[in-house]
Amino acid sequence: YRDLHTFELQAPTRLIEWARGNRVCVAGYGQSDGNEILQLIPPPTLLTKETQGLCPERDFKVECGGFSERPVYSLKYVPDTSLLVTSGPPDSSLQVWQVSAEDSDVIKSVSTIATEDGTGQSWAKIATTSARAPCVLHGSRLDRVQITEVESRKNVYTAASRGSEELSGLAFLDCNALLLCCATGRLCLADTRQPQSLVEDMSVPSAPCSEQWCLGTRHGAQGLEPSSQPVARLSSRGLLTLTDLRKTSEFLALAKARVPSPGSGAEFLCVSWAPALEGYLAISGFDGTVHVYDTQSWDSSGKEAEPIFVHKGHAFGGAGSSGDPPLITVHTWHLQKPRTLLSAASDGSLHVWNWVQPCGKC
Amino acid sequence: LLVLCWCPGAGQDVGRSCILVSIAGKNVMLDCGMHMGYNDDRRFPDFSYITQNGRLTDFLDCVIISHFHLDHCGALPYFSEMVGYDGPIYMTHPTKAICPILLEDYRKITVDKKGETNFFTSQMIKDCMKKVVAVHLHQTVQVDEELEIKAYYAGHVLGAAMFQIKVGCESVVYTGDYNMTPDRHLGAAWIDKCRPDLLISESTYATTIRDSKRCRERDFLKKVHETVERGGKVLIPVFALGRAQELCILLETFWERMNLKAPIYFSTGLTEKANHYYKLFITWTNQKIRKTFVQRNMFEFKHIKAFDRAFADNPGPMVVFATPGMLHAGQSLQIFRKWAGNEKNMVIMPGYCVQGTVGHKILSGQRKLEMEGRQILEVKMQVEYMSFSAHADAKGIMQLIRQAEPRNVLLVHGEAKKMEFLKQKIEQEFHVSCFMPANGETTTILTNPCIPVDISLGLLKRETAIGPLPDAKKPKLMHGTLLMKDNSFRLISPEQALKELGLAEHQLRFTCRVHIQDPRKEHETGLRVYNHLKGILKDYSVQHLPDGSITVESILIQATAHSEDQGTKVLLVSWTYQDEELGSYLTSLLKKGLPQSTP
Repeated sequence: YRDLHTFELQAPTRLIEWARGNRVCVAGYGQSDGNEILQLIPPPTLLTKETQGLCPERDFKVECGGFSERPVYSLKYVPDTSLLVTSGPPDSSLQVWQVSAEDSDVIKSVSTIATEDGTGQSWAKIATTSARAPCVLHGSRLDRVQITEVESRKNVYTAASRGSEELSGLAFLDCNALLLCCATGRLCLADTRQPQSLVEDMSVPSAPCSEQWCLGTRHGAQGLEPSSQPVARLSSRGLLTLTDLRKTSEFLALAKARVPSPGSGAEFLCVSWAPALEGYLAISGFDGTVHVYDTQSWDSSGKEAEPIFVHKGHAFGGAGSSGDPPLITVHTWHLQKPRTLLSAASDGSLHVWNWVQPCGKC
Repeated sequence: LLVLCWCPGAGQDVGRSCILVSIAGKNVMLDCGMHMGYNDDRRFPDFSYITQNGRLTDFLDCVIISHFHLDHCGALPYFSEMVGYDGPIYMTHPTKAICPILLEDYRKITVDKKGETNFFTSQMIKDCMKKVVAVHLHQTVQVDEELEIKAYYAGHVLGAAMFQIKVGCESVVYTGDYNMTPDRHLGAAWIDKCRPDLLISESTYATTIRDSKRCRERDFLKKVHETVERGGKVLIPVFALGRAQELCILLETFWERMNLKAPIYFSTGLTEKANHYYKLFITWTNQKIRKTFVQRNMFEFKHIKAFDRAFADNPGPMVVFATPGMLHAGQSLQIFRKWAGNEKNMVIMPGYCVQGTVGHKILSGQRKLEMEGRQILEVKMQVEYMSFSAHADAKGIMQLIRQAEPRNVLLVHGEAKKMEFLKQKIEQEFHVSCFMPANGETTTILTNPCIPVDISLGLLKRETAIGPLPDAKKPKLMHGTLLMKDNSFRLISPEQALKELGLAEHQLRFTCRVHIQDPRKEHETGLRVYNHLKGILKDYSVQHLPDGSITVESILIQATAHSEDQGTKVLLVSWTYQDEELGSYLTSLLKKGLPQSTP
């Protein structure tokens, strides 16, 4: 490690979202009410580009917080506004909140975006954009995907339905193109200008149907067309596929990560691309570790890949490890610092770490 | 009844602590701190606020000091000797022992080295300490007939305590500075479920999520090790006694484990005596130290030796702990000047530095400092900051509230705007009111006083004899009369109350008219009623009196003729208040009418 900072949150979180001004947001997902949404200011060590010798503070500061009655499973800031949207069980409705850090430090609940509740609906996956107006793309199933304007709560787009599988992720590729990923691994592309068409990617590697998949798209890449970036999919068995959206019929690359099998289910599967490093991605959700891979050496053979680095810190942290070791619930990359990640686990720990480049200096 | 809190002083920064509490007519001052950032009269609180009418000694019942940090006790000699206060001052034994040392040290630097004049003298410190009464943990101290105080362990530094102030059934708990997680040489704060009306808690770190201690220590040791390995010198200016000991233990264990040879020095004077006191007050340290004390005194260091001024010029690597902590004067500043020019050296600031001090300047990034005589000092040595101070964060505050179960919470040392979230959190989770006054603001907290009432033995015996046996789970309703005379409250039986007050009991009697169709004479109607009731009310005593009236128990029934209608008779049914139930029953029974056939 070059740097390792460990923190303990009062309640575990399953999301880490970046906000304007380098703020970080976490939220509780406990079943009882009184879950907190916390917007944190990271310590100055994380804010500066270079790790200076001078670090007056090493702690996170709670800038503002809110109380949610339901567990918060997903949270997204609405760009260019002071709003954020959350979702969580028991249904697929969304909650809208207002953050006004200058006036007070309370995140206030503003409104709810209701959705028609079919049977067996789980919580909605969400993505936000402010390209034309502040909107949120949401849905819990493939046949319930819509885009709703945040302030007016008007529905501006409904995706054509091609089945009712559960969604595991969705994203805006640009202001018109959407990417949807089902838990079965199926990828669908949609264009908001053509509500009836839905392009599918059929090439899911043949696998037992109990496998679940999640999605990782690269964002923040400057000056590159978003649809030219490969999309990563991670399965609960540890399979990783990279797909180019312009050629969805074949894989760019296929690899297997070394993970304990069968793993603790797909609740916390997470795969993400490094915004500041070309071709690097990280995976987590199988145990108490985060793996970092360099995908540039991968091919389509599906052989086992060697991680560049494995963060094991969460397994050792915590006072009195009683019972199960902690499970990583989420991880994310620092937006500017190249090899820095944040990871959170089910025991409430939050780690910020970066590793030393193996080649070069030791 | 009210509890008032007031924090005189200025500034939103760490500043100083001084709180005035008025509880059930008693006035107590909590802490009397000095502001480290000011070099003039602003460093002391403005006590004229209190002394507008009369002497402080008459107004205040006592002063309590929570621990020896100067921002909590620094203004005490000024307050007691220069402003004037002769009442009792309470603090724990270690605080009483260490306070005068710190005060004297600070006085020396301020007066002798800086040449200030409006400051307290050595004699004043001594006179002030003569007014101090030392207390033990969990010892209830009776300040006067009504006011009592009790100290609880607070962690933070040696001898730090939280105080409970109780007058009758109203109480306030003041935490001073505390922390809820034990460290290498001190335990965590603890309080019992004392349920005070108000808990006053510091909240400097309430909005912080702290980096784990292990990481901070790891980084600290890494930096020290790297510097020493390349032949540099490490200067660690220590502020107060607490952190220095913590770091000493840390380095000692590290040196032992890594088998390092570079010398570690501890500057003489202030801190040598402090080590001596830590050994004396070993019971105030944590469990682990006390356990290992038998085998090896944790404060008897193998690798750490006393420092001599000349050593600063020795070649080679070394680590030196020197005072004072903000590099504002004294030995640490001298050493700093010697070593600043060499980039192989390092200075690690282990605590907060007040604005204006050299420590603060170099932490802000200044690399050229103006010293006395307009000399410019170029700082090439590395400057690091490692905060090891032990304060409670939001989680710790919640823990303490959970332990003590107060009815109200007041947070000091925070910024009101930034504390709204914590306030809501406390209010939601514990259903108590949370206050966050600004400095200089008075907070009024309403309390529900308990009023003791004596019950007469006769009444108690009588009431418990009636009905089912007393059950601890079900409340039993009792009837009695509450007599309030002078300042005493008594619950006695109504008869006794009447007697004492010389009042006669009023009898309430109800009379109800029931109309019956009966053309016969009153006398015969009366007989019919009598026979009817006798037949029905077999369990009651029904009598027919010679004058024609009927009695059922103590209820009287008389038949009279209706004034206008010969065919109707009016039955007058009359009963006392006590017989209400039977009276109503009889009335409704008679209203149903008499049976047709009469014997």
